[in-house]
Amino acid sequence: MTTQSAAGMPAPMRFTVDSWDPAYGSSLEFEDDLSESTARVIVGAEVPEDQWRPIPAAPATSGPSALLFVDGVRRIEARVWIDGSPPSPTDPGASAAMCASYAAGVLCCCAAGAHLLTTQTRRGLFTIAPHAADVVTSTGTYRASKTSPSPAVSLPMTLSAALQRRLGDLELATAVAARGGLNGHAGPPESDLLVIDGPLRGRQHLPRAIGFIKSHRTSYLPPPLHAMVAALADGERTPVFLMGTSWDRHAWYLRLPCPPGAPWSGIVRIECSADLPRADVITLASMSQATLCRYASTEYKDPRAPQNLYPIAGLERELRRRLGDPRLLYRALRSAAVA
Amino acid sequence: MTDQLNALGPAAARPLAAQITARERQPAGDAVDSQPAGAATGPPAPGGVTAVGRVLGTEDATPLMFSVALNQDAYLQLDDVVVTVRAVPGVGPVMTAGVVTQVRARHEGASFGSDVFLISEGVLPAHVQEIAEVTTTRVEPECYVPPRPGELARRATGIERAQALYFDDMDHKVPVGLGRDGSPMYVNLDFIDGTRGAHVSISGISGVATKTSFALFLLHSIFRSGVLGARAVNAKALIFSVKGEDLLFLDHANKRLDDDLRDKYARLGLPAEPFASAGFFAPPLPGDLSGRPHVAGRTGGVTAFWWTLAEFCSRELLPYVFADAEDDRNQYTMVVHQVAARLRRDAGPAGTDGAVVIDGDTVRTYDEMVDLIVDKLSDEATRPDWAGPVTGLGTINAFIRRLRSSLRALRTVIRGDLPDAPGREISTGNQQVTVVDLHNLPERAQRFVVGVVLAAETARKEAAGPGSLLFTMIDELNKYAPREGSSPIKDVLLDVAERGRSLGIILIGAQQTASEVERRIVANSSIKIVGRLDPAEAARPEYGFLAASQRARATLAKPGAMFVSQPEIPVPLAVEFPFPAWATRLSESVPPPPAAVSRPAGDVFSRLPRPTDKPDPADDDIPPF
Ligand SMILES: Nc1ncnc2c1ncn2[C@@H]1O[C@H](COP(=O)(O)OP(=O)(O)O)[C@@H](O)[C@H]1O
Ligand SMILES: [Mg+2]
Ligand SMILES: [Zn+2]
Repeated sequence: MTTQSAAGMPAPMRFTVDSWDPAYGSSLEFEDDLSESTARVIVGAEVPEDQWRPIPAAPATSGPSALLFVDGVRRIEARVWIDGSPPSPTDPGASAAMCASYAAGVLCCCAAGAHLLTTQTRRGLFTIAPHAADVVTSTGTYRASKTSPSPAVSLPMTLSAALQRRLGDLELATAVAARGGLNGHAGPPESDLLVIDGPLRGRQHLPRAIGFIKSHRTSYLPPPLHAMVAALADGERTPVFLMGTSWDRHAWYLRLPCPPGAPWSGIVRIECSADLPRADVITLASMSQATLCRYASTEYKDPRAPQNLYPIAGLERELRRRLGDPRLLYRALRSAAVA
Repeated sequence: MTDQLNALGPAAARPLAAQITARERQPAGDAVDSQPAGAATGPPAPGGVTAVGRVLGTEDATPLMFSVALNQDAYLQLDDVVVTVRAVPGVGPVMTAGVVTQVRARHEGASFGSDVFLISEGVLPAHVQEIAEVTTTRVEPECYVPPRPGELARRATGIERAQALYFDDMDHKVPVGLGRDGSPMYVNLDFIDGTRGAHVSISGISGVATKTSFALFLLHSIFRSGVLGARAVNAKALIFSVKGEDLLFLDHANKRLDDDLRDKYARLGLPAEPFASAGFFAPPLPGDLSGRPHVAGRTGGVTAFWWTLAEFCSRELLPYVFADAEDDRNQYTMVVHQVAARLRRDAGPAGTDGAVVIDGDTVRTYDEMVDLIVDKLSDEATRPDWAGPVTGLGTINAFIRRLRSSLRALRTVIRGDLPDAPGREISTGNQQVTVVDLHNLPERAQRFVVGVVLAAETARKEAAGPGSLLFTMIDELNKYAPREGSSPIKDVLLDVAERGRSLGIILIGAQQTASEVERRIVANSSIKIVGRLDPAEAARPEYGFLAASQRARATLAKPGAMFVSQPEIPVPLAVEFPFPAWATRLSESVPPPPAAVSRPAGDVFSRLPRPTDKPDPADDDIPPF
């Protein structure tokens, strides 16, 4: 196949598609705090440590006019090998790369119901090969996205992180676009709340935005407070605390309504910007209690219940559908490689 | 075939061709930006017709059946006519047209029944998608390829609708009602009048299926739409009425005729008028010796009909007395024919009222006739002559029992005691529509009358040769031509069903259940119509011509709604025919001016509707016959 080089010169890039199962690796979770067990935590952001108690949901404050759920999905379509070009003694072999599809979208829950606002779908070739070019197939073009290798991180991890960054960018762009396109369809401007599935990192600057973290690998709170999380009743939250890893944010734990089970079942962590005034943070925290619980899923419908909120599950399904049929995409990649 | 497509003229050709060139290619999956949430809204199809959706790709599209996913702002309903066009390499544009036979809507994105609550609470996103199943009626040119998923589909109107339903090919269109879209639906006359097929079979539940009403509407349409041209002058209808006096007012306007109804007739190109030329026959009033007709509601214009004993003997009408199912199982058929032959030979006229003399005895009534026959069969001297030489006594006695049991039924219509009246013989000669009211007669007498009249009309038509049409409408056909057994009447009907096409006798049969009617009659009917059906009945193979959804719908059909199947169109048409413009009971009747009430004997011609064309002098049967 032929592709366009940056200079506009036709430059052949030869590649082959690995016959591995493309499903492999697609389940890699990219919680940002994989290696962040050493977080700085300031527990007294809302109340002093000795006054930490479960906080019940405040009686109905006027909630947001619309909840905008933001999510993204990614799927690795194939691992490819890009031939060295030009072949040289220093670059003798082929370079491993990956072709992936990703999509981001925003779902609005407002008086009009739960409806999709916007979605964006992309395909990318993630590689460290400097001469990599776009991969054009009959089912779409995988835009070359070049990353520098890092000696400390494995290549698959590097590529995967690059993909995750692109997805994050796309989520951000989609969220901003969706908000811009609301045109007050759900109440007065600035009365909405953005709920981002996953950490808020990179998006702290968005107004009225919270991050929604479903799974917990690390305990950030000191042991007695940590134990209190397990004691939260349905709809209760912990006081707000400040936490800093590679980035800073406010956070609190919330228990979504669910049948009694494991100590941390139904617990989610919610984040908002570290820069917000204390009052605004507390408003967001009680708003999260008042609004999110009604979206909690039930276990017979969703194995990730209740944390996998219905709107997010629905949005994810819509986005996955938009990625296209993986078998078709894989086949197209293979024939593009042969061509 | 391509020529045929071109022959549609620029109006049709433009949208077809334009659509193909303007068909947008789906972007190939790369950076599909900012889709508006999958909520398809109708792109205006080229040529000004708005597409309602696109051919579905998640289910197989086939040349004979395909589905259309509908735009959010569009809908299709059952019976809508839809077209889609695709390009076929080397052939050009191929149009596939069809009729919507099912429409469904579902929540996409929901997997549990209870999700609907979450969706309506605004918690779970979902998309309502409506999908219409289209059963193909026509592929033009005849290149049987499936419509391509993604192709635009649009409602067919005007010439495309006509094409889809083959109306464009019909030289002689009979309006049969309005489609769901308010436009007329047609049946090809060629399949009624014997040109390419004949006979009409109408099925449905009594009282709601509007079978009789539709049969009359069909006659009105055939006679008055102009489709018969010059043949309208000589076209006749013979109607046997078994349900009340409903049909005795069809020459009176209906009081319920309003502007709305007039408009429906106008849209069908039909006058909203009663039958202008009609004659009515009813049996004589029992016990009355002046020969007045036995009717209650209608005071004038009804003629009493009966057969004289002389006719009974000379025409050998006795077999029609033995036309019940139980007669078929018995051995006495030989006796029936023997006695009938005897009567023909031995009966001589007595007086002027149709009485007869047999072996010196004068017979004036049916009772006397039965007594005489019984005597002849009981007397050992005459028995061999009357019953045939080898007939056993048991058989003879069975015959006698059956003969005696016919007294009550037939004594009013077989007479030698009424002053002969010139118009008493049932004849279609003097009017366009002849109604024979049987509802006051027992079933056995009804069968006798239908059998005798039909046999006579068949013989008359046979003698006259083809050229004019006689539409014969028989209600409760299953009583005359049941599926099982044989009888003289069934023979007449089978004869009509099988030869009527060439004789110009068209059978319009109505029955509650087609499954009870002789198979060969149903099979010989080119036009099959159903109104509301009983659910168990709808499942029978007799209704296999209905699409699955139509079978289900037929069990819900409202009065006035019919499914009309004709050989050329693969899907039966759902039509609604207008309420009768003529009175169907006394209370609806707007009586015509008094002068027209009684049938003026000499002025038959003036009461026939005047068709625009001059009658062809070569036609036979120029009235009066
Ligand atoms: N086109 C029509 N629309 C609505 N109702 C009708 C229509 N034609 C007839 N009807 C009503 O339906 C009733 C039954 O019709 P009929 O033809 O006698 O049914 P069937 O012959 O099936 O027993 C009639 O008395 C009349 O009131
Ligand atoms: Mg009827
Ligand atoms: Zn909304």
